[in-house]
Amino acid sequence: MRCIRCRKPAHVEVRRHRSAFCAGCYPGWFRTQVQRTIDDDHMFTHDDRILIAVSGGKDSLALWHTLLELGYEADGMYIRLGIADYSRRSQAKCEAFALKHGQTLHQVDLKEEYGFTVPMLRKEREGKPCAACGTVKRYHFNRVAADLGYSVVATGHNLDDEAATLFGNVLHWQTDFLGRQGPVLESTHPKLVRKVKPLYRLAERDTAAYSVIERVDYILEECPMAKGAKSLFYKDTLNALEEAQPGAKQRFLMGFLKQGREAVGVAREPVDLRECSRCGSPTTAEVCAYCRMTERAKQKLAASTA
Amino acid sequence: MRVTILPDRKHQDVAARTVADLLKALGMHSDAHLVIRRDEILTRDVRLREDDEVEVWPVISGGAT
Repeated sequence: MRCIRCRKPAHVEVRRHRSAFCAGCYPGWFRTQVQRTIDDDHMFTHDDRILIAVSGGKDSLALWHTLLELGYEADGMYIRLGIADYSRRSQAKCEAFALKHGQTLHQVDLKEEYGFTVPMLRKEREGKPCAACGTVKRYHFNRVAADLGYSVVATGHNLDDEAATLFGNVLHWQTDFLGRQGPVLESTHPKLVRKVKPLYRLAERDTAAYSVIERVDYILEECPMAKGAKSLFYKDTLNALEEAQPGAKQRFLMGFLKQGREAVGVAREPVDLRECSRCGSPTTAEVCAYCRMTERAKQKLAASTA
Repeated sequence: MRVTILPDRKHQDVAARTVADLLKALGMHSDAHLVIRRDEILTRDVRLREDDEVEVWPVISGGAT
């Protein structure tokens, strides 16, 4: 197999595009894809201040690296979730990246600042550690971005993430979630920062190859709490399909965004958002989902230690 | 050839003519892994030798979205 640009031996094949690139040409192709996505979906401009939600994994650190290479002003934010050694190692990867590239890394420590960890939430919400973790991440990334004046929060969600989410939502016909799924979530409240996914057209394998070639040092192992997560099963199922039909994941996701989303009705964020009586964050309820969840977890912890 | 499977660095001896054959022998999807030899990513058609040492890196991550 040869690089479609320079004809040297290829290193990275992109089967869904019927393309292959050598290690020299691949990063340029990757960054062009990201820039095209940012432009096509009007995600942000070089005037925006971007906060990147980083986990220490390949996607978020590849995104940070790419946006810096493309000349954007992008800082990182990491949440110390308290998942034992995994959290310590992923934190170290984020700190090393920030130091190497001379960038700002904001951090929130759940245990020190808020008195709980994600494993404690797991006990609270049996069987749904990832859902609870997602609520925590969305809350804190938005809150820090709003407090520090960032105009957009960027996450490392890739094509596989989005296709797996879509697959799960279709499987269970969760039309509310289907109407909300997209690469850009607009702000509908002064305290709700715009959210974008600049890697949503690139596969998980693409971001891993980019990180390896660009020597972005990331945490390779899976979050121990994600073991058995439905999203992993959906990804495996979709990759079996992709093996037989290259491009299936991309056609599934892009077809949905172009045609299917309109058919189920694109959801708009409620316009009557109010502020949470506990923390002041935008919510449709008296108390936001994050405060309700963490209060329950703390009450349970207090009861078990009393 | 000697195959090291990350992240646990488990070793396995596998007979395979190409990278595609190797992944098939291991029961792995090509879109979910990178095969690396001496710091270089290999495409599916690359021929492998008996004395090669390769690493298989998983690329899938899951959990919170």
